[in-house]
Amino acid sequence: MRYEIPVGPIHPALKEPIMIKCTIEGERIVDVDVICSQNHRGIEWIGMNRNNPVQSLYTAEKICGICNLCHPACLVIAVEEIADIRAPERAEYIRVIQSELERIHSHLLWAGVAAHELGFDSLLHYVWLVREKVMDTLEIVNGARVPKDTIMYGGVRRDIKDEHVPKIRDMIEYYWQAFDKLAKLFLEDKTIKMRTREIGILPYEDAIKLATVGPTVRASGVKKDVRQDMPYFAYPDFEVKAITPDMLTGKVVGDVYDRIIVRLLEVKQSMDIIEDALNNMPKGEILAEPKMMKLINQIKKAEGEAIGRHEAPRGEDIHYVKLKAGFEYLYAWKVRAPTYINILSWRTMLMDMQIADIPIVAASIDPCMSCTNRVIIADEKSGKEKMLTSDDLHRLSVMKTRRLLR
Amino acid sequence: MKAEELKQKFEEAGYETWIKEREEGIRIRTKRTSLWIKVEKEKIKDAIGYFVEIADVYPHFSIISASDEGDNVELNYHFTLGFGELHEEYSVNFKVAVPKSDLVIDSITDIVPAVIYSEREIREMMGVEFEGLQDKRHMFLTKDFPDGIYPWRRDETAPKDTNKLYETWKEGAK
Repeated sequence: MRYEIPVGPIHPALKEPIMIKCTIEGERIVDVDVICSQNHRGIEWIGMNRNNPVQSLYTAEKICGICNLCHPACLVIAVEEIADIRAPERAEYIRVIQSELERIHSHLLWAGVAAHELGFDSLLHYVWLVREKVMDTLEIVNGARVPKDTIMYGGVRRDIKDEHVPKIRDMIEYYWQAFDKLAKLFLEDKTIKMRTREIGILPYEDAIKLATVGPTVRASGVKKDVRQDMPYFAYPDFEVKAITPDMLTGKVVGDVYDRIIVRLLEVKQSMDIIEDALNNMPKGEILAEPKMMKLINQIKKAEGEAIGRHEAPRGEDIHYVKLKAGFEYLYAWKVRAPTYINILSWRTMLMDMQIADIPIVAASIDPCMSCTNRVIIADEKSGKEKMLTSDDLHRLSVMKTRRLLR
Repeated sequence: MKAEELKQKFEEAGYETWIKEREEGIRIRTKRTSLWIKVEKEKIKDAIGYFVEIADVYPHFSIISASDEGDNVELNYHFTLGFGELHEEYSVNFKVAVPKSDLVIDSITDIVPAVIYSEREIREMMGVEFEGLQDKRHMFLTKDFPDGIYPWRRDETAPKDTNKLYETWKEGAK
C-alpha cells in the first residue's frame, strides 16, 4: 500500500519553509516531490524596483541569516566588474578572512543540527559550545554575532585591527585542539557510522548531472570549489584545493558520512586560510571610495552585465546583475543560492531510504530551508489522514538510533 | 578545453561570441573569464546540445536569468566549464532574446535535467512559455497567484501598487 507523506512546510529548527512530499511503501520511500512555493519574499524585485544599489547590498545580506556574507559578496563581485571598481589589497584579504570565519561557524552549526537529527543531543550541545568561540570572534571583529554588514562596493566597512589579530589567532589555536575530539566523536562513533554510512547516497554522475554544489557535490567525489576553480577577492593567493572524502578514507561513497567528513575537513582548511591571510595581510586603505553619494553616482553611470560567484558554506552562490546607465536601481538581478539547486538531489538521495532517515538525509545537504514540521500520512485507499508532527518524525529517527545501539 | 578554443568552435558553427575578463588576486594574479554566446530563439536546443556534446565533461548548469528589454525578454543560460583544476574554470553564457509577441521557447530539460526549477521560475516570473516542459506548476509563487501578472516584467503586466508602502516612507510624503 502506498502512502504520501508531506514533510513541511514549516519547521522551527531550520530556517525557511519548504515541503517534501514523499510517497512510501511500507517503510521504503518510492517517490519524492519538493514544493518550494511557501514564502517568496521578492528580494530580487525589491532590488530591481525599490532600492538603490547600496541599499540592495544590505537587502542581499538579509537573504540568509547564517551565510549572510555570501550574497553581498556575489553582488559586489558583479557590480565591481561592471563599474570597474577595484578594492584595496587589504580589503580583499579582510573579505577572505570574513568568509572563512563564516564557513567555520556555519559548518559547526550544521554538525550540531546533524547530531540532533540523529538523536545525539549531548553532542549537539557540545558542538554548539565549541562554536561559541568563533561567534565571539565574529562579535569582536564585527560588533555583532551574526550580521556582518561589512562588505561594500570597493572594499569593506570595518578593518581587522591589530588588537583583533591575537584574538583570531587564539580562536585558531582553540579549534586546533578541539578538532581532533570533534573528528573522533563524529567519525569513529559506531552508531553515527551506522546511521550515516550508505544512507542518502548521491553517485558521482548524478551529482554532476543534477548540478549540485558545495560540500554535497564534493562528498560525491567531484573536485568543485569556486575558490579553487575561479578564484575571486584574494583567493588566488591561497591556492585552495577542493576537499573530497577520499583525502581521509581513501574512497568516495557519496553518502551522509562523506558529507560529514568534507565539512569537518573544510573547517580545518578554513583555519589554514585565515592563518595564512593574517600572516600576509597587506597594509593600507580598506575602501576605494568612502563617500557614499559619489559611489552611488559611479554605479548609476555604469552600464553592462556580469556574474558574481562565491563559495558559500553550503556551496556556490551566483548572482547575475545588469546595470543600465542612468537607471536608479539594478536593472536585472538574479540570485541563486546553493540550496536552490541542491534540493534537486533530495529525490535521488531519499529513494529507497526509510522514513526515519528523512531528517538526516534532508539535513545532510545543509538546506537553507526548513522541513519536517507537519506530516500528514494519507491512506490512499481509505482516504484517512493522520498527522505526524516534527516531534514524531524526530522520535522515529531517535528510535532507529536506539535500535541500532542495542 | 580553454575558453578561447570553445569560442573558436562556436564561431565556426556560426554563433556570435565574445569573452570578458577580469583580473583577481594580489600575490598570484589570475583571470576570471566569461564566454558569452548569442543564440537565436529557435536554435537554443541546437546550441546547448552542441555545447554538451563538445565539452570534455558534462557542463555545470548554474541558472537562467532574465531581464525585460522592452520588446524582448532576454534570457541568459549560465553554465560553467573546466572545474576541478586550479584557476581553470570559466563561465559560458547563452544569451537569447524572446520577442514579447511570441513568448515561447523550447525547453532544454531533456538535455540538461537540472534546468527544470529554473524554467519553472522564469515561466512564473517572466511569463515565458517553455515548450516541452513537463512540470508547469508554480515554483516560488503561491498556487493562487493570479495569471497574467509577472513580477520581473517592466511593462503593464508587472504587479501594481506594490510600492505603496515605500511611497509613504519617502521624504515629504504625507
